Amino acid sequence: MKKFLLTGLMLGSLICSNVFAQSDYPTLSQVTQRLQKLGGNASVELKSLTKTDGGKDIYVLKIGTGAKDEKPAIAIVGGVEGFHVLSVELALQFAEKLVTENDSALEKTTFYIFPNLSPDAYEQYHAALKYERRGNAVPMDHDRDGKAGESGYSDLNGDGLITWMRVEDSMGEWMLSKEDDRVLVKADRSKGEAGKYSLYKESKDDDKDGKFAEDLQEGIAFNKSLTYKFPVFEPLAGDIAVSQKESRALLDYLFEQWNIFAFVTFSPSNNLSSPLKYNAGDAKKRVVTSILEKDQAINAMVSGIYNETITQKAFQQTNQGTDGDFFQWAYFHFARLSFSTPGYWTPEFKEKTNAEANYLAWADSLGWDSFVPWTEVKHPDFPNQKVEVGGIKPFLMVNPPFEKVGEIAAEHTAFILKMAEMQPKLEFHNLKTEALGNGLTRVTVDLFNNSPLPTHSEMGARSRWLRKIKIDLDASADKIVSGDKIKLMDSMGAFEKATFSWIIRGTGSITLKAGASHTGFATETVKL
Amino acid sequence: MKNLKTRKLIVALALGVLSFGSFEANAQQENYFRAIGTPHKPKVEIAWNRYYSSEVLWDWMKKIAAAHPDLAKIESIGKSYEGRDIMTLTITDFSTGKDTDKPAMWIDGNIHSNEVQGGEFSLYVAWYLTEMHADNEFVKELLRDKTFYITPTINPDARNNFFKEPNTANTPRSGMIVLDNDGDGQNGEDRMDDLDGDGHITMMIRKSPTGRFIKDPLDPRRLMAVGPDQVGEYEMLGQEGTDNDGDGEVNDDGIGYYDPNRDWGWNWQPDYIQRGALKYPFTLPENRSVMEFVMKHPNIAGAQSFHNSGGMILRGPGAEEDVNTYNQNDIRIYDAIGKKGEEMIPGYRYLTVYKDLYSVFGGELDWFYGNRGVFTYSNELMVSYLYFHQESSGRGGQDEQMKVDQLLTLGDAFVNWKEFSHPQFGSVEIGGFKKTFGRAHPGFLLEQDAHRNAAFTIYHAYHTPKLSVMDVKEEDLGGGLKAITATVFNERMMPTHASQDLKYKIERPDYVTISGAKVVAGFVVEDEDMKKFKEQKASPDRLAVENVPGMSAVKVKWIVSSGSNYSITVDSAKGGKASWKK
Repeated sequence: MKKFLLTGLMLGSLICSNVFAQSDYPTLSQVTQRLQKLGGNASVELKSLTKTDGGKDIYVLKIGTGAKDEKPAIAIVGGVEGFHVLSVELALQFAEKLVTENDSALEKTTFYIFPNLSPDAYEQYHAALKYERRGNAVPMDHDRDGKAGESGYSDLNGDGLITWMRVEDSMGEWMLSKEDDRVLVKADRSKGEAGKYSLYKESKDDDKDGKFAEDLQEGIAFNKSLTYKFPVFEPLAGDIAVSQKESRALLDYLFEQWNIFAFVTFSPSNNLSSPLKYNAGDAKKRVVTSILEKDQAINAMVSGIYNETITQKAFQQTNQGTDGDFFQWAYFHFARLSFSTPGYWTPEFKEKTNAEANYLAWADSLGWDSFVPWTEVKHPDFPNQKVEVGGIKPFLMVNPPFEKVGEIAAEHTAFILKMAEMQPKLEFHNLKTEALGNGLTRVTVDLFNNSPLPTHSEMGARSRWLRKIKIDLDASADKIVSGDKIKLMDSMGAFEKATFSWIIRGTGSITLKAGASHTGFATETVKL
Repeated sequence: MKNLKTRKLIVALALGVLSFGSFEANAQQENYFRAIGTPHKPKVEIAWNRYYSSEVLWDWMKKIAAAHPDLAKIESIGKSYEGRDIMTLTITDFSTGKDTDKPAMWIDGNIHSNEVQGGEFSLYVAWYLTEMHADNEFVKELLRDKTFYITPTINPDARNNFFKEPNTANTPRSGMIVLDNDGDGQNGEDRMDDLDGDGHITMMIRKSPTGRFIKDPLDPRRLMAVGPDQVGEYEMLGQEGTDNDGDGEVNDDGIGYYDPNRDWGWNWQPDYIQRGALKYPFTLPENRSVMEFVMKHPNIAGAQSFHNSGGMILRGPGAEEDVNTYNQNDIRIYDAIGKKGEEMIPGYRYLTVYKDLYSVFGGELDWFYGNRGVFTYSNELMVSYLYFHQESSGRGGQDEQMKVDQLLTLGDAFVNWKEFSHPQFGSVEIGGFKKTFGRAHPGFLLEQDAHRNAAFTIYHAYHTPKLSVMDVKEEDLGGGLKAITATVFNERMMPTHASQDLKYKIERPDYVTISGAKVVAGFVVEDEDMKKFKEQKASPDRLAVENVPGMSAVKVKWIVSSGSNYSITVDSAKGGKASWKK
């Protein structure tokens, strides 16, 4: 950690000196300061949606110019997992780079940035006792025994970190990895391998029920408590989906922002290195659990752009969503295009297949101090067994040293801006007026979606929470001889056109307007 | 009771001497004779042949609470969307223990705002229990053992809208939040229009040379289709209203639309899967206040949510996807109570929502059972069987309704066709059944059906668990040790933990505690004859029993080294408390 700090200090001054001099991930108060600084910008509205039970604000930045609510919008989301501190920094740096270097993007697009949805858990990164925390600050009875949070972690070796403990146990399921003997792997009993250790998170059996770290002193995990595949009654999820102040405040807000067409979430899940897989059976069921076929094609196209933009090659990116998470919710239940990336992962190194062995080999090669060596401790629950505490330090496998963040943020900013350029774009073409005599005029026009994206994904067209495309002719009903004053369309495909015609009585000029909040609007004035 | 009567008599006599007026009143009292099954001289006189606004329902509830302070308390458990209170009565014999220490029954009504009589039926239960208590041993025992939480309307805003604003029998159904139903970006810009100003949204017909209907020459209220080879006289234009937003559709963006009974947090699904769902479970403040109340009252073991109509006693699962949530042990209990209900309420059938009605996610009854392990029914009140005591097709055909209105309601149910000059359709005729007919009981059927449904919910509540500690035995083991065994008996049908509860550990276990003895070891007895015991090593004086099944018992055993004046208590969230003392 110390080494990170030093390197961070040196590189930090080179990479981000113009923005801030930061050597480690920011504290919550530093995050707030940066948000407030951003909020001073004319194009930025900073708002706190609520305070968590831990007393922390849930912020949103709405960044845009002019008629912000009538421009298609992208929402960028960080901190869906509290231990993924990188995600907060990526969301923040996107906002900073957008406002300072890329404000031309605001002419066409509005951005919502939710930098941190797990501030209670995020704080653990900077606390005296550091561990990878997911839950917020509400009291919670994870093991459902009638008492809340009574069997959490214990810092047995007093190093301020929660790592692992292994207990020598010939009945245990774990053995040393052949790739790296610091790493434990499950014995493959089908191959006749015998276990040598039991393995637990660093803890004591505080409630004397024979289980370890099963009733943590943390509450509901944001990224495990949304409605899609909600894992009811599981630890960190609770009894009811969207039960927390922060999740409700976020959703209440999102359901009022009709212009969002896509989400980019920084979270452990990844559907950008490779797209979600389509499964016809699951897509056709009443309760849909596969991305729909046409949307899978969009995901594949966007993945292509991601892989062109991001230099890091994908490795072991198998997490494409977990139950109750946010990024799947945004697609399956909020019907928006939804993309997620961890932003950072360990690259393939020396052909190690075990993720921890691979990480350690890579970290060692860079001289990082990332491992707590297994050291024997006295453990009250195992008086007659050898117990050792050790393992990879918390946070390091999912969050890079801070000096690496600048480059990751720059590339992901570029990717999001490319997505913004692809947004649905309605245009009128081929306007034609023909005089039919006796004061009648026939008006014909093409409406064109000049975008590689449809106005509504296949899922979006099913949802009442995306508006339809409304074509509105600004003329009184008695002047319209034929044609609709108001016409609603469910969707327009990528580069698709639709032709409309009216017969109108009288003279003067009338206005045509077509669109929806999340597609933007096209207008055209017609002279009769 | 005897004392009370005597005292009343003396007071009456004393007053009678003083005043001719009270003598008159007394004489009049003697001209009322007690009808079996009905409170004779209720402190709160409620007419059970009409409907009440939300405010008047609450007024009755307050009067009940004021008249029976030892049996009823009223509180607001939350606020509605428009800021009205969600009012709940707690009914129990408070002199025999706190409401939260007794197994409880939750009753609500009117979640669908147009399904109004759930309000009156719920109120009837509260009224009946409080007014019968003094005279009826069964009710006394019931309120000694049980608690009722009764919330006559959990949709007070739109209940009032149904009565006070123009509606059909099917509207508003939702609450008063106004959403964009036609997807044009505007909310509620094309509502129903009460063109003839009678408070009922009925139908519009128009004379047309190409129409396919005529008025029945034997009953001109009735429109009938002509034969394929015949020329008609009228065309149907649909619901009374106009196209207010100019999109070519009449009444296509009204109040709502959403369904408060798709808002509950068990297997909740979004609107594109389950039409009527909102943003997330318990988006609606009315439902949220019920949920929060239930979470704070784990003693609730049974629940009833009154709907209309069709004469059904419904149980879950609501969705086919939830078939495995309901297992055989629990279904046996559901069946036993539900089938008894069929006997108690003629014309009502005991059915399962997903297979007999429609498959639906996010319903209240599934939340109560799936999420909280509470045995729950929804009664769909009112069935056309009640008109002529004949089976007819479910909610009653139009012909039967015409006959009812002719013979029983004498024309009160129908708005006769009347000409109206429509801004978009020209000359039309407006008429049809009133909003308060069909789904709602006519006044003369209300009290009887309220009583029968109340009796059913009382039977349901009676079968929430009732625990006792019995059959305590001692055995001298020598060396200063003795074994104490005790039986915890549940003398009702429902277990302390539904199998859904056991599967997910929803509620804490029941605790059986011995005090006044020095406990060496404690066991839950698995098989007494075969001497199979499950030892609890940590705090053996307080044994955790995972369940006490209905109509059966659990045995526990302690080995103690001292203690001759000990007591044994059982403490169950849904089963209440009981104790035994040596």
